[in-house]
Amino acid sequence: MSHQPPVSCIPNTGKMSKAKKVIEEAKEINNPEIDLVDKGISSLEEIPGLFSLENITRLSLSHNKISVVPAALANLSNLEILNLANNNIQELPVSLSSLPKLRILNVSLNKLYNLPRGFGSFPVLEILDLTYNNLNEKVLPGNFFIMDSLRALYLGDNDFEFLPPEIGNLKNLQILSMRENDLIEVPRELGQLARLRELHLQGNRLVVLPPEIGTLDLASNKSVLRLEGNFWVPPIEDQLKLGPSHVLDYLRSETYKVLYSRHMSAKPPPPPQTVDKSKKASRAA
Amino acid sequence: MPGLATMSLDNMYCTRCGDGFEPNEKIVNSNGELWHTNCFVCAQCFRMFPDGVFYEFEGRKYCEQDFQVLFAPCCAKCGEFVIGRVIKAMNSNWHPACFRCEECNVELADAGFIKHAGRALCHVCNARIKADGLQNYMCHKCHGVIDGEPLRYRGEVYHGYHFTCATCGVELDHTAREVKNRPGYAANDVNNLFCLRCHDKMGIPICGACRRPIEERIVTALGKHWHVEHFVCAKCEKPFHGHRHYEKKGLAYCEQHYHQLFGNLCYVCNQVIAGDVFTALNKAWCVHHFACSVCDAPLSTRSKFYEYDERPACRRCYEKFPAELRRRLRRAHHYTVRR
Repeated sequence: MSHQPPVSCIPNTGKMSKAKKVIEEAKEINNPEIDLVDKGISSLEEIPGLFSLENITRLSLSHNKISVVPAALANLSNLEILNLANNNIQELPVSLSSLPKLRILNVSLNKLYNLPRGFGSFPVLEILDLTYNNLNEKVLPGNFFIMDSLRALYLGDNDFEFLPPEIGNLKNLQILSMRENDLIEVPRELGQLARLRELHLQGNRLVVLPPEIGTLDLASNKSVLRLEGNFWVPPIEDQLKLGPSHVLDYLRSETYKVLYSRHMSAKPPPPPQTVDKSKKASRAA
Repeated sequence: MPGLATMSLDNMYCTRCGDGFEPNEKIVNSNGELWHTNCFVCAQCFRMFPDGVFYEFEGRKYCEQDFQVLFAPCCAKCGEFVIGRVIKAMNSNWHPACFRCEECNVELADAGFIKHAGRALCHVCNARIKADGLQNYMCHKCHGVIDGEPLRYRGEVYHGYHFTCATCGVELDHTAREVKNRPGYAANDVNNLFCLRCHDKMGIPICGACRRPIEERIVTALGKHWHVEHFVCAKCEKPFHGHRHYEKKGLAYCEQHYHQLFGNLCYVCNQVIAGDVFTALNKAWCVHHFACSVCDAPLSTRSKFYEYDERPACRRCYEKFPAELRRRLRRAHHYTVRR
């Protein structure tokens, strides 16, 4: 990567000195959890001594102005939680994927247009939050769906039109949010995610659901199924008015299987994109 | 009547009306009680007794007709009153000549009878019908005819092949043994059927997993016995080896998988929540792990938070969200509140 840390001409001592203080304090008392939230940080290289804190387990950098994540961040080999929410990140280094203990990665509210090749090689990642970026199915790296340790995958507020069928590999997935994407259809393989308890599909362009969804345990009192704001065929829309559990009952019916296979062979044109996403904060250069 | 002669009319009174008698009046004497002839009448119809015949019941006298109407039993066969010997049988009354074998019509009053399927039969007919019945037992499960000996279970007869041995799983026949209670077994384990072979070995406990006899250490749980190494978590199949197990729907789980499958794993650390549990948004947290999902700042049970993809976001983070996202979240919130 050719990015250089931005040279700051204006003395930015106010907030930066606070960041310095946090690091020094953490070193002194050996605090394994570093909070650098809303400190006006625009480059991690500005924070002296950050990459030498090899013992830390959590690094929270939300609400800063970071645009480049240096590959050296992967030196913090004990990190379990890395939170980069609400920054200006457009690219991630693939080195993050080698963090051996990283369980929770939050890169929501950034400006990602793609993910690095090999991104999916996290050994123990459990929660991956990529909400509110500019991602779609074409920019997912080939190994994205080998992360079978994932229990929650947040892809809401992105630009997916299709969800790859390999989603069925994420056997431990309990939470999947595709809220407010451009989904035109979801794959039958979603029905293989036996542990799925939370499925957010609201605000997409869906017309039908694979009958296999009906086999998932999404109607219990600990489950969440969000379907509103789509272009459902009338029988699904009618059941949805009664509640998501009624939709699941209906998906299991023989009537619906017929409707679904007819719909899939007729392949009507997808509903139009109705939401103007150009105003999204993730779009700004 | 010498007695009467000594009595004077002055101290003789009618049993019914209590008045005395006129000299030369005809007096009715019945067992030492005296009546005017007009007073010696049926207690029901107040008429004289035809031919002087009366029936006495609870100190009152009745004519034959009224006594029968009021008190005599009706024969269950001919419907006439039963006077004299009453045969009480099959929850009814009968004339001795009316109570007969329903097969051969022989009188049963003195010969005795046997109740068979709600019918009164003489000994001969009963034996014959029972012998006929032996050849066609009806299976209580499939209602088909049973050729040969039936399997008897909980008081009903069945085809043996509807059952398997509770120990070895072999298909049963009429030689199967029903065991109603066994020492050392929980109550829900009784009333089982066993093949003869297993029945004979029954003194030795059988492992609920491998179905083989247990000769070393026995674990008793879930109403069964287990080899120590066969009593395992239903999820990971690792033996408990004396560690705590959790039961759910007849299965045992280790702590980790019980919580993984049935609840209280912390959303952040994915570990069993040891202390207090914080539950919100269909999830659970260790109290010290309950934090804003955007900035990781700890939230207390009293903190106000916003719901964001079914996760908590603190007020500070929510206010830093892009305005258009906040607008959409507000709209979504209205949708869920309306529901």
